Amino acid sequence: MELQLQHLCKQYGEKRAVNDVTATLSPGVYGLLGANGAGKSTLMRVICGVLKPTSGCIRLNGKTIEDLGERYYAQLGYMPQDFGFYPDFTAREFMRYMAAVKGIDKRKVKSRTEELLHMVNLTEAADKKVKSYSGGMKQRLGIAQAELNNPSILILDEPTAGLDPKERVRFRNLISDFAKEKIVILSTHIVSDVSYIADTILMMKQGQFLLQEPMDTVTDSIRGKVWEFLADNRKAAEYSRTFSVVNLHHENNMVRLRIVAEAAPTADAYTVEPSLEDLFLYHFGEDTQFERGEEDENID
Amino acid sequence: MKTLIKYEFLKILRKKSTLIVMAVSLLLTAFLFGLPILQYQTYNQEGVIKGSEGIAYAKGQYSDLAVPLTEEYIAEMIREYQNLFENPDNVGYNGNEKFLIGDAYWEFVAPREKLLNAIAANYDAPGENTGLEKLPDLDMTNAAGFYQTREEKIEALLNMPSRKLSDAQKIYWSNMNSKVDTPLQYGYYGGWEIIISSFELFMFALLCVCIVIAPVFSGEYQTGTDAVILAGKYGKTKLITAKIISSFLFGLIAFTLHVLIACGLPLAAFGMDGWNLPLQIAGTTIPYPFTFMQAVLINLGVIYLILFAMIGLTLVLSANMKSPYVVLIVLVPVLFIPMFLTPNGTTGLYNLILFLLPYRATMPEISKYISYQFGGFVMDALAVRAIVYTILTAVFIPLSRLGFKKHQVSA
Repeated sequence: MELQLQHLCKQYGEKRAVNDVTATLSPGVYGLLGANGAGKSTLMRVICGVLKPTSGCIRLNGKTIEDLGERYYAQLGYMPQDFGFYPDFTAREFMRYMAAVKGIDKRKVKSRTEELLHMVNLTEAADKKVKSYSGGMKQRLGIAQAELNNPSILILDEPTAGLDPKERVRFRNLISDFAKEKIVILSTHIVSDVSYIADTILMMKQGQFLLQEPMDTVTDSIRGKVWEFLADNRKAAEYSRTFSVVNLHHENNMVRLRIVAEAAPTADAYTVEPSLEDLFLYHFGEDTQFERGEEDENID
Repeated sequence: MKTLIKYEFLKILRKKSTLIVMAVSLLLTAFLFGLPILQYQTYNQEGVIKGSEGIAYAKGQYSDLAVPLTEEYIAEMIREYQNLFENPDNVGYNGNEKFLIGDAYWEFVAPREKLLNAIAANYDAPGENTGLEKLPDLDMTNAAGFYQTREEKIEALLNMPSRKLSDAQKIYWSNMNSKVDTPLQYGYYGGWEIIISSFELFMFALLCVCIVIAPVFSGEYQTGTDAVILAGKYGKTKLITAKIISSFLFGLIAFTLHVLIACGLPLAAFGMDGWNLPLQIAGTTIPYPFTFMQAVLINLGVIYLILFAMIGLTLVLSANMKSPYVVLIVLVPVLFIPMFLTPNGTTGLYNLILFLLPYRATMPEISKYISYQFGGFVMDALAVRAIVYTILTAVFIPLSRLGFKKHQVSA
């Protein structure tokens, strides 16, 4: 199975939300990283066929999704960011409704619904109205519906947003379970989430793919550019202003800094193994205040 | 498909707003159509008789009047009225007109006042309404035939310059009128009369249906469920069909509930009497050769077609607008602005369009000779409304389908 994105563009007035994106995806988990406004969600909507690209096309095994029509959507599972539910439906009703929308064989609907509700740990709450669900429960229901038709292409837009750390871990494991032999595109701005489960990293900036690299080698480009060292508080503040600081950790009266820089920021700095977060910061630098805030919370 | 329709129907039905809107609208319909029952009153020499007692009394008086209105019977009625008038003790005068009083009134006029008025109106010139005033002076020696006079009056109506009817239209109405069976059979028709004169009150039922189905597509955009369903296998195909079918199904059921209440209340209170009587006993110049029940059913049929077109329009707006509120902002004026527009005749583009707009189109306007001419082909208002609203429904359904199919999910 091969999903080809060919010169995809999506333009809103003067702004190009997606700008000439080209990629060939085969089964595996793709972590789509980028700052807010990088074009991740727009690209995902285009891939899901719910937003028409201004130009370019998507092909599945050589055929355009327009030609495939229902055959394409039958292979698709999509969990959009912040998507709504029908508040007056129970989870079980919602799943059965989605099963009908997805054209799942009637004989399999019941067992598939129960299986997925069990997998996402919603069996006991299955007959409660969705409006009574917590954010985490809704997210779990969201992924369950995306997986209903056992799709070959699973698109998950910020599936872990708003979840607490425990639920995020649980969610990651769920996605890993679902991901076998599928093309899974997982967008997030929480870098640690994808670092655990992604096989390939797609990094997006200003509507374009900045890099498409396997997870194993994605950080090679910044090997030797990630530094750690100790500094006093005053110096640490200075470094924070000058460099892209990945992490600050207080140790006694000193601060341990982790910095991404082309050259050693100080004589006693030493290089360390680069991580995906370092790479993210290396590319997005100063324009990702929000994401860094999120990461600080995760890195510590 | 059945499952999709079931769930789409449930989505409409489960909303609290649906239940509230339906409850309010049904109560309002019950109130509006029940009001003539609550307010009904008739009189006899002892005073006012109200409610069901009054209705029973009035119906009782019709038992002797349920006869064919032959020339002889009508002439007899007029003569009897004139004879009573010859006795000065029976005549009152209010400075303006003379009228029967005392026993002459209570024993002869009161039990058959509606019939006498209908007979007298037949002898009025077009546009004139003199009540019973004309009866005492009617020249019965040359036996001014009731039906001959009716024909002449209709002829005069059709030839009134203000009506501006073409020859083809005049022929159309004359032909239709020739199908009216005479002598007319008279009788009680109280329940049907209320229904026929209150059709415009169904506008609230139409609005209720439109309010409830306004979110069918736009609600998906508003809640953000559009992305998930449009990415489903049948999101752009069968689901749209299911949404359209369930909307029409809901509209049909909800509106029929209103119809049952609206027609059920007057018919329960006043009885089915009159269902097989000709419309002309309520107005002799009515050209439609229908009974009361036929007229009600035909106009209800037209209103159902208006309903379907309004559902179609609501769905088009819903598929193309981001919120159900915006849908209603557009829809409510379409439904209700015609209420404030008054026709200034029965011909001319303005009037002919006005009679086709939703509010006016609910009214049967059976005595107005409203017709539409296309080349040499003439159709009456009921037929044109039926055709126009059927065409609109047929146009709106694919447009709503296209609107949702082409919907772009953006942030």
